[in-house]
Amino acid sequence: MQTLHFITHPRYLRHDTGAGEHPEIPARLTVINREMGIHDGRFKLVTVEPRAATRYWLLKIHSENYLLRFEEAALAGRSWLSHPDNQLGYETYEIAQLAAGAGLAGIDLVESRKRPSVVFCSVRPPGHHAEESLPLGFCFINNVAVAARYWQERHQRRRIAIIDFDAHHGNGIQAAFEEDPDVFYISIHEHPTFSFPGTGYAEETGTGQGLGATLNIPLLPGEGDLEVQAAFRRQIEPVLANFQPEAMLIAAGFDGHRLDDMSGLAYSTELFGWLGAKLADFARDLCGGRVVSVLEGGYHLPSLGASVGQYCSGLLSVGKKEE
Amino acid sequence: MFIANFMTVPARTVTPGTLLTAARELMTAGNFRHLPVVDEEGCLVGIITDRDLRSAFPAGVMDEEEKGEYLKRYVRTTVLAIMTEAVASLSVHATLDDALLLFDRTRVGALPVVDKGRKVVGILSIRDLLTAYRQLFGLGEKGSTLIGVADDGDPRLLTKLTAALEAGHIPFSRLIRTGELGGKAAMIYVRVHTHNLNGVHNTLAGAGLKTVAPGIERSHDHA
Repeated sequence: MQTLHFITHPRYLRHDTGAGEHPEIPARLTVINREMGIHDGRFKLVTVEPRAATRYWLLKIHSENYLLRFEEAALAGRSWLSHPDNQLGYETYEIAQLAAGAGLAGIDLVESRKRPSVVFCSVRPPGHHAEESLPLGFCFINNVAVAARYWQERHQRRRIAIIDFDAHHGNGIQAAFEEDPDVFYISIHEHPTFSFPGTGYAEETGTGQGLGATLNIPLLPGEGDLEVQAAFRRQIEPVLANFQPEAMLIAAGFDGHRLDDMSGLAYSTELFGWLGAKLADFARDLCGGRVVSVLEGGYHLPSLGASVGQYCSGLLSVGKKEE
Repeated sequence: MFIANFMTVPARTVTPGTLLTAARELMTAGNFRHLPVVDEEGCLVGIITDRDLRSAFPAGVMDEEEKGEYLKRYVRTTVLAIMTEAVASLSVHATLDDALLLFDRTRVGALPVVDKGRKVVGILSIRDLLTAYRQLFGLGEKGSTLIGVADDGDPRLLTKLTAALEAGHIPFSRLIRTGELGGKAAMIYVRVHTHNLNGVHNTLAGAGLKTVAPGIERSHDHA
């Protein structure tokens, strides 16, 4: 039976986003945990608790001043940082460090075996909107960006592909690597005209040395499975084959689901199973199966649980058609 | 909303007596394409553009002899010979909307800005106008979304909308009511500055407003 390494931490539930109408709530992870319980039996579930990412790794992406400001805001009991969207509680700084640590733990797991483990990191707060000195859209520390630098430096995997299928553009990941030819950022998301944060036009393709190492695929509201599958076939697959990554990171957001009104996209639950299988195939064909997925968005609780379940099953199905 | 906050001050100017070679150097050095022409009092009398200057320069198809003769004349020619005298200008008190209409009507790339006595006090280019509207409309700042709201003709619709957004602590900037443009259904577009779109949809639905995106209509049966 296949094994899924499910990286999460009970403290993630203690990141407090207030009692108001905030969509980024602890119950998001609870529904995912419950879903994993249901799937246990179809695959073997090994739950792993990560350690906090140290300041050394956070500083690869974020400025010292920003980290201090973030930590101070949390410890001083402030209720948000920079914008009321970015709600925080007393423990949020430490929890954000733990969230960033999940990707690092996943990478170590993948690198520790000859046949790489299949890894899903179920974390909060999410990360892909956070920039060097800017929290944005519920994100404080850019978990995936920190993980990319860790993979390069700790395990000497130079060429990293990041694929972001959250419904929103990962402006923070793009900003971190847009000048870097060794980290290829690919994002498929709702068109910036109609969607937060308003970045990720197809014309944004990287700058300087990194020109050509960013691929943005905006979809119109109402678009769904067919458009995503076509984009993978026509754009993402050839670009990845050409880039020849040594490892892949997935910013896994589930808010493109048709029931999730944080976006106008119309993905089915099954699409996430297809995405898991497709990405695992890419990883096997291109980089020895080295792939780590990290949770970003996904706010409609019933579809979030089911979609993550489908996605993980997809990740595990790699190579099945040959067996 | 006033051009005074967005124009370039002071504008570089030339006089009718300025040599074309000097005007050309000024443009190249400053990397701009329009030079208002002023009299000795600094009052607007015309304008020259980089295109005027390029047209006046000896053409590449001339033979050497012809070119030599032409160049001799060219280096002695002054702005007076090629400037456009019928120049449109903006008053220093003009709004950005005034400027937009004048740009639309005259199809020029930049407009001199003058005071009551027609003294040139600045210049506003199409680029300056774009920058101004970008800033005023909250465009290009990370962290906002365009929301469409169906306009059912309710005379209190804008009141409902803004009251709901403010009560929900949802920051917003540009708000446009289209009317029935080109036979399309009337819409209201508002730019909200938050990632909590779920909260936005719930807030608007609670106020009896229907959000619409191209291609889909949201139903709130699952919210």
